[in-house]
Order: sequence, then C-alpha cells, then structure tokens
Amino acid sequence: MLPSLLRTEIEKKLPCAFQVYRRSLHGSIRTGIAQIDDVVQGIPLHALTEICGGNVSSGKTSVLISLLAQASRDRFCALVDAADSFDPGCGQAAGIYLPRLLWVRCGKSKVKLPPLEQAFKVADILLHSSGFGLIAVDLSSLPERVVRKVPLSSWFRFSRVIEKQSAALVFIEQEPHATSCAGLVLRVMAEPPGFSGNLVTQCNLKMEVARGWEKKPVRSERTGFSLQTQWA
Amino acid sequence: MFACFYVPDFPVQACLLPEPAEIRRGLSQSPLAVLDGPDNLQRVFAANAAARNAGIQIGMTKLQVETYGGILLRKRSIAIEEFAQGTLADFAGTFSPRVESTCPGAVVADLAGMEKLLGPWKSAIWAMTAKAADAGFDLRIALAANPDTAFHAARGFSTSTIIPAGEEARRLAPLPVSTLPASPEMLDILESWGIPTFQSFAALPTIAIVERLGQQGLYLQQLARGEINRPLLTVEPNAEFVECFEFDDPVETLESLIFILNRLLQQLCANLIAASLATNELRLAVQLEVRQIQNGHKEEEEHKHDWKLPVPTQDKNLLLGLIRLHLEKTTFSAPIRKLTVEVIPIKPRVAQGNLFSPPSPEPERLEITLERIRGVVGISDKDGTACVGSPLLVDSHKPDSFTVEHFSSVVSLPDNCGTAPISALRVFRPALETSVELDGKKPQVVWLWHRHRRVLASSGPWSSSGHWWNSSAWAREEWDVLLQISPGVGLYRIYYDRIRRQWFVEGVFD
Repeated sequence: MLPSLLRTEIEKKLPCAFQVYRRSLHGSIRTGIAQIDDVVQGIPLHALTEICGGNVSSGKTSVLISLLAQASRDRFCALVDAADSFDPGCGQAAGIYLPRLLWVRCGKSKVKLPPLEQAFKVADILLHSSGFGLIAVDLSSLPERVVRKVPLSSWFRFSRVIEKQSAALVFIEQEPHATSCAGLVLRVMAEPPGFSGNLVTQCNLKMEVARGWEKKPVRSERTGFSLQTQWA
Repeated sequence: MFACFYVPDFPVQACLLPEPAEIRRGLSQSPLAVLDGPDNLQRVFAANAAARNAGIQIGMTKLQVETYGGILLRKRSIAIEEFAQGTLADFAGTFSPRVESTCPGAVVADLAGMEKLLGPWKSAIWAMTAKAADAGFDLRIALAANPDTAFHAARGFSTSTIIPAGEEARRLAPLPVSTLPASPEMLDILESWGIPTFQSFAALPTIAIVERLGQQGLYLQQLARGEINRPLLTVEPNAEFVECFEFDDPVETLESLIFILNRLLQQLCANLIAASLATNELRLAVQLEVRQIQNGHKEEEEHKHDWKLPVPTQDKNLLLGLIRLHLEKTTFSAPIRKLTVEVIPIKPRVAQGNLFSPPSPEPERLEITLERIRGVVGISDKDGTACVGSPLLVDSHKPDSFTVEHFSSVVSLPDNCGTAPISALRVFRPALETSVELDGKKPQVVWLWHRHRRVLASSGPWSSSGHWWNSSAWAREEWDVLLQISPGVGLYRIYYDRIRRQWFVEGVFD
C-alpha cells in the first residue's frame, strides 16, 4: 500500500494522528531592545522562554532588566531571584516601575531549602496565582551543574501551565535546559566594551536565536547591539 | 408593638450553640444538665425539659445527677453564654434596628413601623420562630404594646403570645407573682398575704400597697397590670470585633484549631457584613497551656501575630487561609488553651473595575500567595530586610541601598515613566573580598574566583563617602575593570573600602 493511501486510511480512523502540534501565538512583550524585537517580535506570552549567556558579562541580565522595564509599564511582574543579585538602583534607572515588581530573594533567610528548589517552588506558586504578566526566574548565578539536574518533567509542567495563562515565563540561565519545552531560546554573548577616554560608555553584545516560536529548531539568527552604561 | 425573644433554659441552649446543627438537634431532645461551681463541688445550674422530666433538679450535685444515668453533663461557660446572648441580639437585630438586651436569654425589639415588612403578627411570629431554629435557638416570642408586658408574657407563658393594647392586665392575670423581678423578701410578703398571681396583686388598692411596700411595691403592681411604658435601652453596636474560644482540654492538632478558627472568623465576618464594614487588619492571639523554661529563659505564654491587608475584606476564607499558613509553619512549646481573633473594622473598599487597567493579581488572593512564598523563602534576611516584596530605593548616595516593601496590586503607573535599555549590574551580596595589585594608582591584577586576573582596561577611581558624622560611615573608591576571564572578558566593578582598608568585588556588568 502506498504511504499516501496508508496515511489517508489512518486519518479516517484517527483524524488527529498526523496533526502537528502548534502553540497558540497570542501576543508578546517587547524587550525594549530594537534589534532583538526585530528578530523575535518580543518575548511570547503563553510560553516558556530561556535567555542564556555565560556567567560573566554576557548581557543576559541587561536583556532581563530591559524586558522588566517594558513589561512593568502595563503589567505586574515577578522576579524570582535565586541568588539575590538584582540591583534595584540599576532596575529603576532602566525604567522598571518598582512598585509593580514582586521581588523574591531566595536563599537569604534561615530556611534550609536550597535556592534552586526555593526558586522553582516560588515559580510554581506564582504560576498558579494568576495576575502576573511576566514571571522571570533568574538562575544564572547558580552553578551550572546544579541547574542541569532539574528533571525535564519540571520544565514540561511549567510549559503546560504557562500555555493556559496570558503571561510570559522567562528563565535566565547560563545554558538552556528546557529543550523542546521552551518556546523561545535566546543566547546572548558579550564583546569587548567601549571606552570613551577613561569611562566605560557602552557594552557591545551579540544575540542568537537558538530556538524560535515553532516547535522545531529554527535557522540560527544572529544580531549585534550595544547598550549604554547608566552614566554614559 | 414590642417583641420579646425569650430562650427557655438559656444556659443549656447556649452550651449547644457551638455544635453543628445536626448534633445540636439530637442533643436538644436528650436530657442535658449544665453544671457550675468549683471542680470539687459542681452543682446543676440549669437543665432542659427532658432532664427535669427525668427528675433532675436545680442545685443537685454532680454525684447525685450521675446516679440517674443517661444524663448528659456540660460545664457552664460564661464566654459561650455571652456569645449566645450576642447572637440572640444579632438575631433580633435582623427584624428591628432598636434592640434591648434585657437579661441573659431575653431580648426585646421595637417593631414599631415594621408591620408592612413583617406582615400579620401571627405569621410573623411563625417566621421568626423558624428563623430562630435555623440560628440555633428554640424561642418563645411575645408581642405586646410595652416592653415589660412582652417580657413577662414571653417568660411566663409556655407558648408564643400576642397581647393587644389595652388587654395587658387581663392577659397577664394568670401569671404567678414569682415572674415579677421582686426581691425574695417581697415575694415572701406577697405569699404570706395569699397573693399567688398577677391578677390578685393587681386588684389590691394602690395606696395601701404604697403604705406597706413602698415605691418598689407600686412599681411591681404596675408591672402586673401591664401599665409601665418605658423606653428601650438599646444595644449599641459593638465597636470591637473580637471573638475568643477557650478549650476545655488544651489542643495540639492543627485540625482542631482550624475548626474553631473557622467558626470564629465566620462570626466576625458576619458581624462585619451586618455592620457594613470590612477589615484590613487581623490579629491572632494564642494562649498556651503552660509556661515552659528552656535554657534558663522563660518562654512567652502567649503567641501573637498581626496581618495587615492592602485592601479591606469581608472574606472569611482569605482570613482563615492566612492564619492556617502561619500556624502550619509555627511550632508552639505547649498545647493551646485559648484562641482570640480580632479584626479592626474599616469602611469597605468601593472600587469600580476599569476595562483599560492592566490585569493584576486579585488583592485578596495575592495575600495568600505572598504568605505561601514567605513560607518557602522565609520572611527576612539577617539584616531584617524582607525577602518578598517590592524593592524601594533609599534616599542615600551609598550604593545598593534599598528596602523591600509590602507588594500591593493596587498601584497606578505614573505619567512620566520612560524606559531606556542600559547595561545592568549583577550584584554580589555580600560583596566578595579580594586583593588587588596596583600599578601606580591603577589596578593591575585582581584576585577573583581563586585566580589572579589581569586587568585589560580600567575606569576610575570614582570616590564617594557618606554618614561620616555617625558610626555607619562609609568611604570608597570605585573602579570598573575589564578582566581576562577564560573564556572571554568580564567587566567588573571593584571598590576599595577606605575605612576597612580592603578591596571588594561589588558585581559584574552582565
């Protein structure tokens, strides 16, 4: 029997057998960095996004801060800070409206739970309490070998929960871990910063789309951009 | 027209009030006696009809009652009786705004002007009795033109009664004089005169009564004739919303506490709703059984906790959820003896939804969420700064000065809120101690992550200082240094603390 006939026969009995699963695309949040927004049209709602970069000066935190600044204009945001590394002064300078930001500082109290578990539990609680337009979980300061141990089932559960919510779930990491559970994976890399005399005035960065909104991996797209320093 | 709501065997009905409705109905048919007095000499204080029919009399000792067998015994609780009296007054308050708490087990309500609302008096009494049964009371109701006649009719007759105006003396006539609020000496005098009923007392000549019994006698005779028409001493709405419960036996399990807390909060929220109020502050006091001594220090006998809500609420489930989450993570040193819950009343929030406002966490539900998150990450760090909330910058030149405020979803965006992407600093808290080799005044090599890192480029020094006038003085010289990190480069912020004479790495631009 020809494959096309076989397929037709199967589809008669199971109409969804060969249907490709596609995520619903309903809106996005602009990152505020024109070069990134031009390539990926913002961070998707109803999906899990990973922003990755090496552990030093890769620019992932700058992208996160810029995203929070854009999102806090018309949404309530939550930042789960696994290593308590967020700088509120820098955030305000970037335009984050701080009263609309829920900042959860993990690993700072006498609670025995490891910071990674705290961060995942808090993310879970926030996902089940609707109302936040952006939930960002910053795991990038945690050792890579610790984050790598997170089971795939956790990422899968997050991706299925966020699918039903009008919110974006963003993880900041050194390396991507959610594999196919992520709707978008951005990899950010640093280039030497620009000096103006004795002053650091801009940080030069490169961005690569490792996974697009579609399920299958997309052709790698790269773009370069520069961010000014707070005092420039 | 005045209505008196009278609860026969009030102490017995009061002690059954906290029970669930099904259990209460079953127990009300069983012989039940309420004991009062010291533990070693408890006597019957009140008994229901079934117990009296079984032979139980007021004043019997506990031992005597136990010889009968099958009699349920309960210990008298003043707190529960006060709670029951309050509930009875609240019940009467649903029919009239003017209610007098006449005595334990009796309240009088002024029904003037309520005729159209309540309908014919006969059917109104029937409806009131049915509603009272739902509220947990088996009532006798009497309607009369003055409060005292209504009170005596409700107390003296075994069924509900309506006494039309002008017929008070005739209808009260068969009641015994012991129903009157007279002193025992006065009742003895009347008995010695052969005056058994209201009718015979009312028929005596007034002047002769005044000559022999004084003004008190005249007052009692007017009561017997139903002639006294006094204003009601209305119950003022309670400004304090406090409910407490004392356990007979101290409890250790959370389920028992939650069961009682649920009832207390239900009553508090019902009171708030009845008064058209809400609350934004909840206080819990837990009194423990014993005071324990550990490490030579006495522990507190009472545990207290307060919650401040961003928006007023009347939601019992929200308040119960907050208390439950707190109790789940609290360990007490002894069993719990008494619970006190207080809510601070304020006007409810009047807010209209806005179609154009951004989606936000539901304020009531948000509090539960925040409490759950605090349960995971803790309440505050070692400096006392909260772990969960909105960051707020402190008005200081000192870097990394901030506090964490309570997060609220009731905020509006200011008009002048612009954004511009900048290079962000990822902060190390606390800052990493390091050593720096200098070339002249510029950093040459920085010790970081267990290695010496060569400085490729540097920017600085940027000096700042503050609080030099007190003990929290700080002074530093900042450098932004580009370090050779394998692989690539890293732009770090380091500073020299001029007071501690030590180099630190504050963070990395990321």
